[in-house]
Amino acid sequence: MALLKQMRHLYLRRPSGKAENRHSLLCALGFHKHSASQSPPTVEENVLPGNGIPSAAAVGQDTPVKTLKDMPGPSTVSNIIEFFYRDGFSRIHEIQLQHSQKYGRIFKSRFGPQLVVSIADRDMIAEVLRAEGVAPQRANMESWQEYRDKRGRATGLISAEGEDWLKMRSVLRQLIMRPRDVAVFSDDINGVVADLVARVRALRGQQPDGLTVLNVNDLFFNYAMEGISVILYERRLGCLEEQIPRLSQEYIAAVHLMFSSFKTSMYAGAIPKWLRPLIPKPWRDFCHSWDGLFKFSQVHVDRKLSEIQAQLAAGQEVKGGLLTYLLATKDLTLEEIYANMTEMLLAGVDTTSFTLAWSTYLLALHPQVQQQIYEEVVRTLGPDKVPVSEDIPSLPLIRGLVKETLRLFPVLPGNGRITQTDLVVGGYLIPAGTQLALCHYSTSLDEDTFPGATQFQPQRWVRRDPTDHVDNFGSIPFGYGIRSCIGRRVAELEMHLALTQLIQKFRIQVSPLTQEVHAKTHGLLTPGGPINVQFVDRQ
Amino acid sequence: MSVVSATYRLHSISKRFIRSLSAVSAHNSLKTPSTRHRVEACIRNRQFSCYPRALRSENKVTVSFINRDGEKVTVKGSPGDSLLDVVIDQDLDIDGFGACEGTLACSTCHLIFEEDVYKQLGPITDEEMDMLDLAYGLSDTSRLGCQVCLTKSLEGMTVRVPESVSDMRQSDFGTTSSSS
Repeated sequence: MALLKQMRHLYLRRPSGKAENRHSLLCALGFHKHSASQSPPTVEENVLPGNGIPSAAAVGQDTPVKTLKDMPGPSTVSNIIEFFYRDGFSRIHEIQLQHSQKYGRIFKSRFGPQLVVSIADRDMIAEVLRAEGVAPQRANMESWQEYRDKRGRATGLISAEGEDWLKMRSVLRQLIMRPRDVAVFSDDINGVVADLVARVRALRGQQPDGLTVLNVNDLFFNYAMEGISVILYERRLGCLEEQIPRLSQEYIAAVHLMFSSFKTSMYAGAIPKWLRPLIPKPWRDFCHSWDGLFKFSQVHVDRKLSEIQAQLAAGQEVKGGLLTYLLATKDLTLEEIYANMTEMLLAGVDTTSFTLAWSTYLLALHPQVQQQIYEEVVRTLGPDKVPVSEDIPSLPLIRGLVKETLRLFPVLPGNGRITQTDLVVGGYLIPAGTQLALCHYSTSLDEDTFPGATQFQPQRWVRRDPTDHVDNFGSIPFGYGIRSCIGRRVAELEMHLALTQLIQKFRIQVSPLTQEVHAKTHGLLTPGGPINVQFVDRQ
Repeated sequence: MSVVSATYRLHSISKRFIRSLSAVSAHNSLKTPSTRHRVEACIRNRQFSCYPRALRSENKVTVSFINRDGEKVTVKGSPGDSLLDVVIDQDLDIDGFGACEGTLACSTCHLIFEEDVYKQLGPITDEEMDMLDLAYGLSDTSRLGCQVCLTKSLEGMTVRVPESVSDMRQSDFGTTSSSS
């Protein structure tokens, strides 16, 4: 009976997925081998028997729903070789593409005891995300939880689950998710952008050619850290100064340690606890970097709290932003505030800086596209006007630039979900509690959704009119729905304002020092080598 | 897992944010008269509505919703209220509606308008268009309910709630999006 119900369910849901399976798989293949997309279909990933367009009878009565056992995928041994011997961890995004070509748009992999079902299909991803309940779970965050238990810390938005998560999300999204709420940070961010521009001038002045900024990601890291701190802590940290204050330096070191231990400690969630005495370093580094991150947040939160208390004691009116509000309303406990400030800061620095670094690199590689965007900026703002958030709707190519950068280099090449109910996806019954990997990197490069998928075309995102819609589940770099990136609008504002001013003021060129830069996965999708670019004054 | 129903949650949160203007100090060690000012200062536009409630006239606007099962429900809302406000305030039972509480992170408050009404609606932002790209059953006259505010000129309009994937799932697998 249950099976019947599932079959009916499958039938009902097919119209949304329709006949795209065959076509888009071929196009995905065509991504690596362009000529292939022209050749007649030879490979067919049939989710359903027949021609891929199900009839009610075929689906509703005759087609059995397949189980995980039937699902193709790499063997455990080949996965171990790929990841541990061939260092597949740094190529997860490429392996994702290869596996989706080899095994189809839904396949299973084993990482030790962990079974993962990967979904590299726009429509199936849409089905999964649209079916979410009120508190979706991303992944097993046991190691994060364990650290927090050990130190008596609270969980934040990344590490919390269920009702704990929902409570915090409900509070925080009312503060920093709505575009119009975030727009008020425009002036604060512009203060940081002014320092970024000054820093570009200072750094290039230190080079023999007077133009090159070496490893532009370091610069953007400091920009992103300064930007997010202004919003989270209502405080400038001095990350864009010549001499970075000691506390900020310590934090930067902790973040770097966190990411350098990512590979070993995050994925080594697969390493069972009993192995820790034998291989103690990953877990030690993991705890150590969290200590650093929490310490930093705590110092800044405590400082704000004492400022508020002092102002109140003096009978002054207290005004403030996000942190002041949280401390005043106590919608979250102090520990929850520490944890969320820590996790939001961690989530808001590298993600933004990598995207800005890639944007800069892509602009430098494509001078004509850059010129087009420059002309739009100057047409809209003139050569000097500082853009504010209200100007962004008049700069569709700036928005397109960020979207296109994130399509080509989605900072999170895959996202996780643990299914909360039994689902039928792609013809397979996936039981509740299964770890899904949504393969955004693969779908972003799907020729079917994005013609000329490997090309950098910010223009593709510009709408002709408000009814010009694209089904863009293919590229959802911030995720979708109730558990999507809470910092999305903040990140967009930081990137839009910074890129607009950089393009307005400088012609960005590839430095002769830069080799071709490929992406590598290191927790996030990062530039695999230093991006050195020249900033030439426009005036 | 027992989770509070989405509708109830939305309701309580929207109320809470309005309430917090005056009642922020109930369990607050920072309780002083100036606390209220500060919170007002930093809350900014933290209600669902497009306009402050004080600006609304008492003239209500009549709106009809055609539910997913074809049933027509007619309710009244205040000018300035968003259609999401109306759904919450009137306790309309639309499963999964407004999951992100009007923060433009989902498209679950997707509504379909009559063409002449659609043309009268306020301007559409880029962020709303991006979210509509991800709406199920998108039409040329689709908008997000959280972004459309009532005005007197919309009196008597009818909006349709599009069918959703989760409807189908619900009939097959039981409730997935809320339980209370």
